[in-house]
Amino acid sequence: MSTDLQEEIGREVAANKVLVYGKGTKTAPRCGFTLETIQFFDNFGVPFEVIDVLENMPKRQALADMTDWPTLPKVFIDGKFYGDTDILGPMAQSGELKTVLETAFGRPLGEQKQTINLH
Amino acid sequence: MIDDESLTGLIRARLPDADVRIFDRTGTMDHFNVTVRSRGFAGHPLLEQHKIVYAALSDALKDGRVHAVELTTIVSEA
Repeated sequence: MSTDLQEEIGREVAANKVLVYGKGTKTAPRCGFTLETIQFFDNFGVPFEVIDVLENMPKRQALADMTDWPTLPKVFIDGKFYGDTDILGPMAQSGELKTVLETAFGRPLGEQKQTINLH
Repeated sequence: MIDDESLTGLIRARLPDADVRIFDRTGTMDHFNVTVRSRGFAGHPLLEQHKIVYAALSDALKDGRVHAVELTTIVSEA
């Protein structure tokens, strides 16, 4: 069932070190949480891609099935699913996320611009 | 749209000891800040803790009673 979609998602996840499935695009987010996630990775200063699935219900269902996670946005780093900023926020505070991103990009990251207020 | 009591009830159906704090972000009773404290999170990584809560809210998310949740989970030591 929906094998084509799963393959499409697998290709997208493999092609992007940091990938956000959200509502709207990077330049025109259409959901507060998607905007928050964009600002979150902007702050880290790493390249990331946003794929808009707002209107694509079959793909949203395939993503939910693959991740066992019902809501958008959904974040993948280096092929692994990390949920959303409710997960990434605490990981950023503990320093774990920086390590994950440095491993993904194979280089040290600079200082974050600032500690962002997530909410 | 869902009231605090029903939302708490859905979470406690999975996590009977849960201490649930709810804040209605938008005044429309479907976008919430939810903080859940439970012993049931013990031994589960953060991602799994959130999945436990989302599983409890699965039907409410599907039928639109709950549109968006900003979730904080805390492992209760008590």
